[in-house]
Amino acid sequence: MKGTVLVVDDSAMMRKVVLRVLKMADVEFESVLEAGDGDQALALLRTNTVALIMCDINMPNMSGLQLLQQVKEEKLAIGVPIVMVTTENSEPQVRQAILAGARGYIRKPFTVDHIKNNVKPLLPA
Amino acid sequence: MPDSITAPRPYCARDFLAPESLDRADDTVIEIFRMMFGFEIGVVDVPDPNLPRPEPAELTAIVGFSGAMRGSCQIRIGSQAARSIASAMLGGAPIDEGDDSINDALGELCNMLAGGWKNGISALSSECALSPPTVISGKDYKVHMHKPSVSLSRTYQFEAHALYLTLHCEDIGPAER
Repeated sequence: MKGTVLVVDDSAMMRKVVLRVLKMADVEFESVLEAGDGDQALALLRTNTVALIMCDINMPNMSGLQLLQQVKEEKLAIGVPIVMVTTENSEPQVRQAILAGARGYIRKPFTVDHIKNNVKPLLPA
Repeated sequence: MPDSITAPRPYCARDFLAPESLDRADDTVIEIFRMMFGFEIGVVDVPDPNLPRPEPAELTAIVGFSGAMRGSCQIRIGSQAARSIASAMLGGAPIDEGDDSINDALGELCNMLAGGWKNGISALSSECALSPPTVISGKDYKVHMHKPSVSLSRTYQFEAHALYLTLHCEDIGPAER
């Protein structure tokens, strides 16, 4: 797949896991960017064009939901699918994420099928 | 319109100690180990005496709960077991002893366990927040709770390793929430 994927998670291990499972689901990109928190993600988004963002919610300093708000305010990543990958999956949180601009939601733990069903349809064929 | 609206009953120590709490913990542990690591894991009363227990170095991961319930989720595991988990998370890639990714993997496991457990309990799902995980190396430490607390413990076994789970809930009154 053309373009770049940005994975945002404070756990380096989880970023690797997300990238591994994306690959297993045949969702591979030309290049990969990784951010350990919301500030790093914003800095990357101000200087790079990405095709997909996979983002954790529960992060120190700036939560994934705050990052979504900031991305919206700064008009960064317009039209780019943002998928939340998180242990939090209560209905209010999912609703909050969708309202803030997320296009998909994946609960940890997840499988290759979850990526196929929830991420692949968001990407151009 | 209803005549009156009753606020949901606060989650309390009695709810926490109900058998469903441990059932939910078991389901969460089994789901995570199958889906993320490809390991079969089961509850054991006492770990197999032939297992190398206690392992020379132990790791503990802690995730705090706040909101409708205050407390923590703790997992304790030997360093070799943690290394197996980290390797499984990366699809079987070799992990060197002392690699940072071992602590990282254990923290994520604890985060998924705490999240999965509380998400399965309707009174906590959207009313309880998780802290980022903390990982402690070694055995010579004590976790102090500010208030009286109740706890639930479980031992699991996967491959040749034991995993010890403890859930703590502060026994506080509704007025303090």
